[in-house]
Amino acid sequence: MKNDKAQNLNNTMVARLEIRLKQELKDAEGAGVRRKAREYFGFDVKEIRVIRVLTIDANLTPEQLELVRTEIFTNPVVEESSFSPLAREFDWLIWIGFRPGVRDTAGSTATEAMEDLLGVKLAPGEAVYTSKLYEIRGGLDEFQVRRIAGDLLANDIIQQWKIYPRDHWDDQEGIGFPIPKVVLDHEPTVQTISIKSDDELRRISRQRNLALQDRDIPVIREYFLRQEIQEERKKLGLDLPTDVELEYISQARSDHCNHNTFRGRFRYHDLATGKRETVDNLFKTCIEAPTLKIKEEKDWVVSVLWDNAGVGRFDDGHYYVITGETHNSPSNMEAYGGAITGIVGIYRDPMGTGKGSKLVMGMYGYCVAHRDYSGDLKPHLHPRRLLDGIVEGVRDGGNKSGIPTPYGLLLFDESYLGKCLVFVTALGIMPATIQGESSHRKVTSPGDLIIMCGGRVGKDGIHGVTAASETYSEHTPAGHVQIGDPYTQKKMHDFLLEARDKGLISFITDNGGGGLSSSIGESARFSNGCEVYLDRVPLKYEGLDQWEIWVSESQERMTVAVKPEHLEHFMELSAKHSVESTVIGQYNDSGYLKLDYKGKTCAYVRMDLLQADFPQWEFDAQWLPPEMRGLVEPVIDEPDEHGGLLSSLLSRPNICARNWIARQYDHEVQGGSVIKPLVGAERDVPTDAAVVRPILESNAGIAVSQALNPSYSKIDTYHMTAATIDEAIRKALAVGGDPDHLAGVDNFCWPTIEYHPERNPDGKFKAAQLVRSNWALRDYCLGFGIPLLSGKDSMYIDGNLEGPYGERRKVSGLPTLLFTICSVIKDTRLCVTMDAKFPGDLVYVLGETRNELGGSEYYQMMGSVGLNVPKVDVAEFLPLYRAVHSAIQEGLVASCHAVSRGGLAVHLALVAMAGGVGMEVDLSLVPTAGELSTGQRLYSESCGRFIITVAPENRKRFEELFSESKVGCVGKVTEAPSFVILEAEGKTVVYENIFSLKKAWKGPFGELI
Amino acid sequence: MRVRAIVLTGYGLNCDYETDFSLRLAGAESHRVHINELIPGAVKGPVKTLEEYHILVFGGGFSWADDHGAGVLMASKLKQHLGDQIERFIEDGKLIIGICNGFQCLVNLGLVPAFEGRYQERRVALTYNDSGNFIDTWVRLRINPKAPCVFTRGISHLELPVRHGEGKFYAAPADIDRLIENDQVVIQYADEEGNAARGKWPLNPNGSLEDIAGICDPTGRIFGLMPHPEAFNHFTNHPDWTRKREEALRRGEKTVPQEGDGIQIFRNAVDYVKANFGSP
Repeated sequence: MKNDKAQNLNNTMVARLEIRLKQELKDAEGAGVRRKAREYFGFDVKEIRVIRVLTIDANLTPEQLELVRTEIFTNPVVEESSFSPLAREFDWLIWIGFRPGVRDTAGSTATEAMEDLLGVKLAPGEAVYTSKLYEIRGGLDEFQVRRIAGDLLANDIIQQWKIYPRDHWDDQEGIGFPIPKVVLDHEPTVQTISIKSDDELRRISRQRNLALQDRDIPVIREYFLRQEIQEERKKLGLDLPTDVELEYISQARSDHCNHNTFRGRFRYHDLATGKRETVDNLFKTCIEAPTLKIKEEKDWVVSVLWDNAGVGRFDDGHYYVITGETHNSPSNMEAYGGAITGIVGIYRDPMGTGKGSKLVMGMYGYCVAHRDYSGDLKPHLHPRRLLDGIVEGVRDGGNKSGIPTPYGLLLFDESYLGKCLVFVTALGIMPATIQGESSHRKVTSPGDLIIMCGGRVGKDGIHGVTAASETYSEHTPAGHVQIGDPYTQKKMHDFLLEARDKGLISFITDNGGGGLSSSIGESARFSNGCEVYLDRVPLKYEGLDQWEIWVSESQERMTVAVKPEHLEHFMELSAKHSVESTVIGQYNDSGYLKLDYKGKTCAYVRMDLLQADFPQWEFDAQWLPPEMRGLVEPVIDEPDEHGGLLSSLLSRPNICARNWIARQYDHEVQGGSVIKPLVGAERDVPTDAAVVRPILESNAGIAVSQALNPSYSKIDTYHMTAATIDEAIRKALAVGGDPDHLAGVDNFCWPTIEYHPERNPDGKFKAAQLVRSNWALRDYCLGFGIPLLSGKDSMYIDGNLEGPYGERRKVSGLPTLLFTICSVIKDTRLCVTMDAKFPGDLVYVLGETRNELGGSEYYQMMGSVGLNVPKVDVAEFLPLYRAVHSAIQEGLVASCHAVSRGGLAVHLALVAMAGGVGMEVDLSLVPTAGELSTGQRLYSESCGRFIITVAPENRKRFEELFSESKVGCVGKVTEAPSFVILEAEGKTVVYENIFSLKKAWKGPFGELI
Repeated sequence: MRVRAIVLTGYGLNCDYETDFSLRLAGAESHRVHINELIPGAVKGPVKTLEEYHILVFGGGFSWADDHGAGVLMASKLKQHLGDQIERFIEDGKLIIGICNGFQCLVNLGLVPAFEGRYQERRVALTYNDSGNFIDTWVRLRINPKAPCVFTRGISHLELPVRHGEGKFYAAPADIDRLIENDQVVIQYADEEGNAARGKWPLNPNGSLEDIAGICDPTGRIFGLMPHPEAFNHFTNHPDWTRKREEALRRGEKTVPQEGDGIQIFRNAVDYVKANFGSP
C-alpha cells in the first residue's frame, strides 16, 4: 500500500480523506465524548478531538480528488484536511467505522455531491464510506481506552473499532483503507420445503427460523396437499412449498402483523370468586366494538380500524391522522439506531394512511431502568448509555424529518432493565378531498402498477433475532439492526404529497414489519391478486435470496398503486424529488399472489389462504385480587417535615425536570407551535399537553397528551388503565382540549403471557392482567366517549440478563399502557398553560382527594406499594371536565393543571414554580372523601383533579360553573416566592422557597445538555 | 405591484410551508419551488428561472442531511448549477434571505459577508454549537440600527426561536472586526435588557463570536440569520403568549394581536421591492 492510495477489492483506486477542525477551534463533539467519559466511567481525559474520515473507493484522478477535497469537504474557515494521516501528538487513537451493510447516509450524500460536482457517475460497487478517528490526550491506560471505544462510542452490532497507542502508530500508513463493503458472493436460489408430516415441517421451520406457529402448521400443510392446489402449482412448475411462500405465510401470521394475542381466546378464572369466563378476542370486544359504537355517535370519526392509522376530522377541509407504536427490541440492542428507525418508521404510517398525509407532529415515550443503575445484572447496554442513545436517535430522526416533537414522557423503573420501551407517536394532516375524491378511501384495482418508492432492499431486519447469533466476517452485512434515514424519507415524503395532490396515487402503504410481503400481500386483497417480479426490486447489493427480497425490512420504502396512465407523470415527479421509484409488478383479480424471479415463478399462493381458519391462540388467565396477593396499606406515621419530604419527592427521577430532552427536539418547525413542551415564566416546566396549528391559515389546533402509570399495575391493571386514560384526558383538557372530541391511541407493552411452568410461571396472572386492562379500556372509552383511532400491542417485554455468577435472570417489564389523547381545539387563542400568572389570583383544587396512595410516588419513596389504587368514576368526573372546558372557553382560567404523579403537593408546587410566584394553600379547604391525614391530602394520587388559578374578579362566574362539583378555593398566588401549605387552625405544614424547590426539582438531570 | 418570492424546497429542506405562509402574510406572492425545477435538464418540461422573482429564500432544514457540514452540500449544488443565475439576481439588486440552514448555505456560497462585493468567498463559518448538541430555544435579539440591512429596517429588538446544532458564528479575528466596522453585523443575541449576551448560555445559545446571530452583505440586500422569523408568524408562537394575553385581559384589553413579530422581516423585504421595482 502506498501512502494515500491503495488497491481495493475491485482494483480501483482508494483514497482516504481526513478532515478536522482547526486547532484553535473548540471541538464540541470531542468535548461531549470527554464529558461522557467522565460521567459514565469517571475517567479524566485531558482532551478529545475528532477527525472525520472519508474512504473514497472509486476510480477518480488526483485532480478530481483534490477538487472534491477543497470544493466540498473542507470548509477553509474552520477546517483542515489531507489525504495523508492527520492525527498527531495523541496518546491514544480510536477508529470507529460501520460494519458492512449498515446504512451510511453521510457516505451516500458524499457520493451524491461528488457526482454532481464532477459530472460523473460512480460505477457499480464504487462508494464512499465514512468513519471517525478520536484523538485522545491524557494519561489513560489501554483498558480505559477500550471502554471508551467499546462502551461509549461504538456499538459492536453496527460498528467496528480499533485502538492505536501512540507508539504503534505509523503516521504514513495511518488507519489504512477501511472499506466495509458487502460482498455476498451468493447465487440467489429458491428452496423447497418438505411437508411430509407436521413434525417434519415443524422441525424445518425451527431449523430455518421460519417461525411458523405450531398451530398453523396443519392448516398450511392441508393447503399445499390439496389436490386442486397441487395441480395448479404444477402448471407453473411448482411442487412443494418454496421458502418464499412459507416466509410469506409466516410473516402474515406473525403476532406483529396479525395481533394473535389480542385476537386470542382467554380462559379467565377469578380465583377469589371462582368465576370462570371465556373472553373471545380482546381486540373485537374491547377495542373494535366500543370504537365502532362511538363512531356512530361522533361524526368527526372518519376512518378507524383498518388503515395504517386512524382518521379524524380537523375542520371542514382537513382530516388528521394519528398512530403510535413501539420499537423496543431494536432499541434495546442498538439504542440510537433502534430509536431513529422507530421514529422515522412511525412517520411512514400517516404517509401511508388514506392516500397519504403530511406529517405534522411526533411524540415519544421512554421507559428505562434508572440512569445510575449499579446492580448486579448486566443488560446489553447500561441504562444511561441506552437512554442517551434513544434520546439522540429520536432527536435526529425527528429534527431531520422537519417534523416537530413537542411532547413526550420518560419513566424510570427497574423492571425495564430486561427490555426498554420506546414509544413513538405520529400525527399527520390531509385534505378531506383530493381531486374530488375522499382522501381517506383507497383501493388497489386490477391493472394498477405496484411501485416501490424510496430506499433499496438489503438484508436489513431479516429474521432479526437469529441474525444476532450469526458469526461475523469482515464482509457479512450487519443487517438486523437498522439505522433510519430521515433524509431519504423526507425527500420521499415531499414527493408523495405532490403525487397525491395531482391525483396520481390510487393506494399507498408503508413497508415496515414484513417488508413487501406484508405491504403487497395486504394491498393485493383489495384487487384480489397480484404478480410481482422480485428481480426488478432494486437492491443495495447483489446476492439476496428471493425470500429475502420479499421479507426484508429495509427502511424508508413505500408501496404505491398507480394507474398505468399516471405512470409517466408519477416517475417524472419521482425524478424531480431525487427519489428512486420502480415498477415491480401489478395488481390483478386472479385470486392469487404470484411472485416471479427472472421468469420463474417462486411463489403462488391463493389470496384467501390467509383468511382461512387458522386456529385462534389460547391463553389461561388467572386473577387473584391484590388483597389476596398480600398487598396491604403500609404503616407510615405522619411525617414531621413535609417541606423536606416535598423537596425529596420533587427530585425523584420520575418527577424531576428532564428538560434536556425537550430542549434538543425541534418543537417549532412548521411554524404552528402554540403550547410548547416547556412552559412558564422561565419556560422550564413541562406542559400538560402540546398544541400545534397544523393549518397556518386557521386558528384551529390539535392538542395532544399522553400518560403512563405502570406502577399501578402492581395492584390492578384495570385501575392502572382507567387512571392512565383519565390522566391523559385531563392533561388535554387542561390546555383547552374539547371533551366532545377526545380521540385515543392505546399502546400496550406487556410481558409474555403464555404460561410455562419454568420459563414463565406467572404467565397466567400476566394474561389476566392483560384481560383486565382491556376491560378497563373498553369501559372507560365507552364512558368518556373515546374512539380508539389507533393502537398497537407489543408483547414479550422480558429479558434474560446475566448475573454476577454466570446465571441468567428473567426480568419482566411492568404491564404498561401508554395512552394518547388527541383533541381538536377550534380556537387556539383560548388555550391556557399550567403556570400561575398573577399574585393575588385564587387557587382552586377541583375534584375530590381520596385515600388513594396505592402505587403512588410517595409510597414508592417509602418502599411500599400499598393497596388503595386510584379509581376513576366517569359519572362523577365528566360533568366537572365539561365545566372546566366551559370555564376555559369563557376566558375565566388563568392557569390549569392536571394533578398526577406525586399528588397535590408536587403539582401545586409545579404551578407556583412555573409561574415564578409563591402560593399559600389551606389543606383543610381541599375537597376530600372522608377524613384524610395531612400526608394523604398532600400525596394521594386520586384521579379526576385539576389545579386552576383564577383572577379574583372572575371568582363569582367561575364558582357558578362549578356549583355542582367538588371544588375548593384553597388559597392564593402570592408575590413573595414562598410555597406555604397550612392545615386547619393555621398550622404550617410546608414553608419552602419556590426557587429552592425548583433547584431540588432540577437537581438530578440539571447538568445534562 | 406583485412582489414575487421563491422559497426553495427539496433535498431535506423543511421550513418551506411556514416561510411561504409568512411571505404571503407580508404581502408577497410566494412560491415553493424544488431546487431541481431551477436546474436545466433536471426535470422534464420548462425550467423556472430566478429572474421571475424578487425575493429568494434559502430556508431552514437539513439539506442533504447536514452531512459534511450544515449547508455545505447545498451550497455546492447551487454553485454548480445556479451560480450564474444567483450572480445576476444580486446584480439586479434583488433580495436574498438565508434562514438557519439557508444562512449556513449563504456563508458556504460566500454570498455573505462578501467583503468588497466578492460574492464567492467563504470568509465566515457556522460551526458546531459549543454545547455539542442541537438546541431549540427562544432568544432575544438586538438589532444594529446602523446596519444597511433591508430586512430589519425599523426593528430595534425581536424575539425568535433558534433550532440548530451548528449555529456558532465563527471567523478570523480580523474578519470579525471588519464585520463590526462595516455594520454588517445585523443581529446579536441579547439579554432581557437588550444588551449583548456576551457569550452567556443560553442567551447566546451556541457560543457565536461577538454574539453574532445574523449578518448582511455590504449592500444590505442579502441577509443571513440563524433564528427563524417564519416561526413567529402568529401571536401564539411566542412562548409567553398565554401570560401576555392574561396581562392584556387584566389591563382591560379585549383582543390580542394575531400576527407574530417575525412577519415584519418579510414585510420589510416586500416594501423594499415595491419601492425599488414598482412602476414609478
